[in-house]
Amino acid sequence: MNDEATSSADRDDDTTDFGFTRVDREAKASMVRGVFDSVASRYDLMNDLMSGGVHRLWKRYTIELSAARSGQTILDIAGGTGDLAARFSRLVGPEGKVILADINAAMLEVGRDRLIDKGATGNIEVVQADAQALPFKNNSVDCITIAFGLRNVTDKALALRSMLRVLRPGGRLLVLEFSKPTSALLGKVYDQYSFQILPAMGRLIAQDADSYRYLAESIRKHPDQETLLGMMEDAGFGECRYHNMTGGIVALHQGFKP
Amino acid sequence: MTQHDPALLSAALAAAEQALNQAVTLAPYSHQELDAVSGTLLGIEITTVDLTVYIEIVTDTEVRLMAHCERDTDTFVRGTLEDFAALATSYDPAATLINSGIELEGSSTSLITLQQVIARMEIDWEAPLVELLGDVVGHQIAEGLRRFLRWGEGARTSLKRQVSEYLQEEGGLTPPKAELEHFYDAVQSVAMRTERAQSQVEKLLAKAAARETPQ
Ligand SMILES: C[S@@+](CC[C@H](N)C(=O)[O-])C[C@H]1O[C@@H](n2cnc3c(N)ncnc32)[C@H](O)[C@@H]1O
Repeated sequence: MNDEATSSADRDDDTTDFGFTRVDREAKASMVRGVFDSVASRYDLMNDLMSGGVHRLWKRYTIELSAARSGQTILDIAGGTGDLAARFSRLVGPEGKVILADINAAMLEVGRDRLIDKGATGNIEVVQADAQALPFKNNSVDCITIAFGLRNVTDKALALRSMLRVLRPGGRLLVLEFSKPTSALLGKVYDQYSFQILPAMGRLIAQDADSYRYLAESIRKHPDQETLLGMMEDAGFGECRYHNMTGGIVALHQGFKP
Repeated sequence: MTQHDPALLSAALAAAEQALNQAVTLAPYSHQELDAVSGTLLGIEITTVDLTVYIEIVTDTEVRLMAHCERDTDTFVRGTLEDFAALATSYDPAATLINSGIELEGSSTSLITLQQVIARMEIDWEAPLVELLGDVVGHQIAEGLRRFLRWGEGARTSLKRQVSEYLQEEGGLTPPKAELEHFYDAVQSVAMRTERAQSQVEKLLAKAAARETPQ
């Protein structure tokens, strides 16, 4: 195993990051769960407000890059409330399959309800699963997406390897995640926004400033574009590349199973 | 790496797609026409701005616009912005297509059908864009839009020139006066819509500037 593939934050065996606080590895998983338990019901509203609706555009492009087509099997891990799953469901059609997976039952429940509301159910399977140990067969999936999920995963290298195992050869992984703004000025504005405005918005709307402070902090702790690219290569993905979006606030990484 | 910020491009495509699909819903005559070409995929490469967009006619009431697509297209066209502006507003798209610098691969049927559907509809392109501008912190988009609108003026003049050249060269083909009138009316209506969009963008920018000035 290549230790450089793990983020520098994960070097220490017993502790890892929880936002800017260092915590016990076991504790991180349950604290992340706590965060998403507490935001689940307002998650979609907050997503729209926090990003000014732009997250829909980031996701739209992710769907395009997936090149998903009728009959394929798509796994959306850390899929939360099923945004991507609902769109994939139409693209793969009745012969295809979409697996909406997340470690958090509360998020999946909101997701399931939303998918039913949208009438997208026939080809969607909802599975509670940990990205680090995916409960799916080797070479069984055409495409895996993970949107705003990887930064919450304790051992990212382990998760990437697990995804590689599940993908069929030639299949692709798309990682949509906050990244590093390419300009210093944008970086500053963005800092102000996420450390001042975000928690305030969280307090107002979700009555939960702490969870949103965690979100802002976890974004800063997440590996930047080149680091994540290296981690994907180390995990065994080929033809890795990324697209910066909205000035690098978000990056979409793509890699193929050789 | 992509040259255009995919989020920006997605914003423009999402807005255009929404405008288009709304207009299609409101124009029942278009359903039959689209039905005949449904399932086809068109690629349009605009060389001026180094941009390729894909149009998929999904059903008789739904069109999908994409910035990225890996499937084989049924029709692929390559040309400058001006070429496509001329085509979009053309009264006789088949003739415009032949006369313009547009390169065509595959069948022209779906392209011409789509052009006819679009040309006949009064599409409100601006509203969804402006709606988006309010959401997305708008500087980049506004700038892009302004550049696009400035280009629009040039396209109009050159369009007229191109048409009269065409008519002179093909001397025998002088269309009836009524048709010419209709054609210039169509150009005029594009011009007016362009100006309306420009003034909307200016208002928005003024509003944004006012908000930034400390009280
Ligand atoms: C910010 S949400 C993103 C949800 C959705 N993909 C979206 O883009 O709207 C992050 C999700 O990651 C999930 N998550 C965190 N750690 C995970 C893990 N180890 N395995 C699977 N999902 C995890 C959380 O439960 C949460 O639903």
